Amino acid sequence: MQSHTNTEQQLLAALAQGEREATEQIYRQNYRIINGWLLKNGGSATDADDLFQEAMVVLFSKAQSEEFRLTCSIGTYLFAISKHLWYKKLQRKSRDPIALLDNTGNDDEENDNGIAYEEDVDAHEEREAHYNQLDEALEQIGEPCRSILKAYYHQDKSMQEIAADFGYTNTDNAKTQKYKCLTRLKKIFHAM
Amino acid sequence: MSNNNNNIWELAEAYLAGTMSQEDFAKLKHRLATDTAFSADFYETTDLIRAMADNGKQKRFRSMLRDIQSNPQNTQKTVKSKHIVFTPEFWRTASVAAGVAILTSTITFWSLKPSINKTVSRYNTISREVTGLKIEQAKQLRKQKQLELDLDKAKKTAPPPSDVKKTGTGFALTNNGYFVTAYHVIHDENGYGDSVYILNNNGQYFKASLVTFDAAADVAIMKVDKSGFKFGKGELPYTFSRSKAGLGTHIFTLGFPTDEIAYSEGYISGRNGFDGNNSQYTLELPVGHGQSGSPLIDAKGNILGLLTAVGTEREEKTYAVNATAITNLLHKLPDEKNIKLPKSAKIGRMSREQQIDIIEDYTLSVKVYKK
Repeated sequence: MQSHTNTEQQLLAALAQGEREATEQIYRQNYRIINGWLLKNGGSATDADDLFQEAMVVLFSKAQSEEFRLTCSIGTYLFAISKHLWYKKLQRKSRDPIALLDNTGNDDEENDNGIAYEEDVDAHEEREAHYNQLDEALEQIGEPCRSILKAYYHQDKSMQEIAADFGYTNTDNAKTQKYKCLTRLKKIFHAM
Repeated sequence: MSNNNNNIWELAEAYLAGTMSQEDFAKLKHRLATDTAFSADFYETTDLIRAMADNGKQKRFRSMLRDIQSNPQNTQKTVKSKHIVFTPEFWRTASVAAGVAILTSTITFWSLKPSINKTVSRYNTISREVTGLKIEQAKQLRKQKQLELDLDKAKKTAPPPSDVKKTGTGFALTNNGYFVTAYHVIHDENGYGDSVYILNNNGQYFKASLVTFDAAADVAIMKVDKSGFKFGKGELPYTFSRSKAGLGTHIFTLGFPTDEIAYSEGYISGRNGFDGNNSQYTLELPVGHGQSGSPLIDAKGNILGLLTAVGTEREEKTYAVNATAITNLLHKLPDEKNIKLPKSAKIGRMSREQQIDIIEDYTLSVKVYKK
C-alpha cells in the first residue's frame, strides 16, 4: 500500500511538471471509466473528451502546489471532479438545481470529500475566467507585444531565443521590450 | 532607481525567481513595508507575471492533452520497460572487491582532449580508473556471473556489465533522466565501455545511454533508459549560468570519489582554464578521482560549470568547463529532445546544508563497465 501511494505521488509530481509520459499514463488509466459513466449519464463522446480534459487540468493545477497531497487515489479524484464538473454543466443548462451528490456510484470516501471537490472545481472556474481575461487583454495588445509575450509565457522560449527570433541585437534589448509589453498588458488588463 | 518603468518588472521577476541578493531583498522588503503605493503596484506586478506564467504552463499542458486525446491507438506504452533495476544488495556483493581496489589503486587517467595532448603530463583528468583486480575480483566475477544467470532466468534482459572500468560523477539536466558528465569518463583511448550505469543517491543502479557529446569541451549528455525515471521530487533545483563568473567567486561541488557522495568547496582562482583555455575556469578546490563531471555550483544555486581535470606538478589546481559548453550542446539537440532548463533556482536563498540536501538527489555516480 505504501509503495502504491509513493508511485501515485511520483506520478503527480511528474504530472505537475507537465511530463508527457506520466500524463498519458494517468489519462489512459482513467479515461474509460469516466467516459463510460458519462455516456450512461446523458453525455456524448465529445462531452467526455472535454470533461475529462477539464478534470485533468484541475488535477494539474492542484498538483502545482507543493503542499498538495491527495487524500484519495488519482482515479477517485478524477472521477469525483468529473462528476462535479458535469453536474455543474447540467445545472447551468437546465437552471434547475440538481443534487450534486446522488447515488451514482459514490463511495463513502467521496462523500467525505464532496465539499473539497466542489471547492476545487469552483477555484478552477475562477482561474479559467481570470486566464480568459488575460488572453483577451493579450489579443488587444497589438504586435510585436502579443507575439513576444506569447513566445515567452506560452511557448516557454528563453529571452535569448526571443531576441534571435524577433531580431533584437541582444537579450537586454529584448527584455526591455518585454517589460514595455507587460506594462501595456497590465494597463489593458486593469481597464477591463 | 524606482523611476524607471521597467525596473519594477525586473525586480518582480528576480523576486519571484528567488535570484535577488540578500541586500536587495532586504531593501525591497523595507520598501514594501513602508511605501504603500509602491507595494500595491509591486504586488499587482507579481500577480500578473505569475498569472501569465501559470496560464502559459496550463496552455502547454492542454495542448499535450489534446495530443494524447487524438492518439488513442498509441497503447503500446503499456508494455513495461524491459529494463530491470538491480537491487542495491546485488551490486553491493558485486562490487565489494572492486571498491577496495578502487580505493587502493587510483591510477590517473590521461585526458584525450586534442588541444592538450602535448602537455598531458601536467594535466590529469579526474575520473577513477579501476585496475588491478586479481584473485578477489575473479572470485567476485564468478559470483556475479551466477547472479547474472539468476537474473536472466528471472527476467529476460540484456546481460549486466561484468566489470567497473571507470567511474565519474554526473548531474541532472532534467528530472526525467537527462544528465551531463565529462566525456572522458565514458570514452578514453580504449573507446567506449560496454555500458554505462548510474548509481543514484538511494543506492539504485540504472542503465544510461549517450545522447550527444562535445569531445573538445569534454562534455557528454546522457539519459537514463528506464521510462518514468525521476531523479527527485520536482523540477531541477538549480539553474545554469549564462555568464562568466568572476575571480574569487565562492563555489562548491558534490561528487563521488567513492560510492559515497562527498562535498567540497573552494573559489574560482583563474578566469581561464588549463593553458589559458577560455572555455574553462581554474579553481582552488580539493577534489578526488571519480569527481570528473561534478557540478560547479555558486552560493545562489547556479551551475557555473562541470569539473574536468586536475593539474599535477604539486600545484593542485582543478579545472572546470564553463556551463555555457553544456547549454551550447543542448541547443544543438533536435526538437523532440528539447531540454528546458529551469529559469530560476529553487535553492537560491537556502542555507548550504539545505542546498546540499536537495542537490544530492540530482547528483549521481557514473560507472563505465567493460568486459
